[in-house]
Amino acid sequence: MSALRIPQAILDDLVAHARELDPFECCGLLAGKDGTVQRHYRIANAVAKDRQAMQVFDDAQVKKLGDLAETTRAEVAYFMDPQEMLAAFKDMREKHLDLAVIYHSHTHSPAYPSETDVGLAYYPDAAYLIVSLENKSTPDMRAYWIKDRRVFPAEVQAI
Amino acid sequence: MIKVRIPTPLRPLTKGQGEVESQGGSVEEMINLLDSAHPGLKGRLCDDKGELRRFVNIYVNEEDIRFLQGKATTLKDGDEVSIVPAIAGGR
Ligand SMILES: [Zn+2]
Repeated sequence: MSALRIPQAILDDLVAHARELDPFECCGLLAGKDGTVQRHYRIANAVAKDRQAMQVFDDAQVKKLGDLAETTRAEVAYFMDPQEMLAAFKDMREKHLDLAVIYHSHTHSPAYPSETDVGLAYYPDAAYLIVSLENKSTPDMRAYWIKDRRVFPAEVQAI
Repeated sequence: MIKVRIPTPLRPLTKGQGEVESQGGSVEEMINLLDSAHPGLKGRLCDDKGELRRFVNIYVNEEDIRFLQGKATTLKDGDEVSIVPAIAGGR
């Protein structure tokens, strides 16, 4: 896979989004054409309020959300608001853009996909980007391809 | 005719098409017909018992079928169906 090209303004906005929601995980989508990102969609993290989230996590046999208090769920997990996702995909269709990147933040751990992230990665054609705020003063951002539960680093080029 | 939007992870089963046409009086019927035209699609959407997999969201004209009648939700000519796998993860 070739490098993803992402405008610096969007990369800056991903960090801003992560900081705004800290200690909760943020999430969203980037869309573009031929590996060049053009648009950024912030999507609400509905992990604490959408009952479907619990079933999705249970079925994939990853993190047990039911063991966590509702208020802490969004600190360790994300679940994109389905209606907002649908609206983002509609906008991509209208603008003839493809989904390029699925991002979320880790507020207490490194920018590497967790077992939960890997178990729930259903989009092999999109890069999974993680913004880590483990070190609050120097955010770390890394991207990966996740295919058949295997993780490969994805190259990101700021443009 | 019903227009069905196929998410990228399932497009290998539809020869890369992001939109296919189907028929059916309900979501369940539509899934069965889709599977005849694109074998393997049903297995990605439903479990062994034929229940919709929980990470698969289906919308009829932008309404989530969880808030309609699930797979029994009726379809009519001209409806647009979107299939969208959940996006989730954690630390
Ligand atoms: Zn994660």
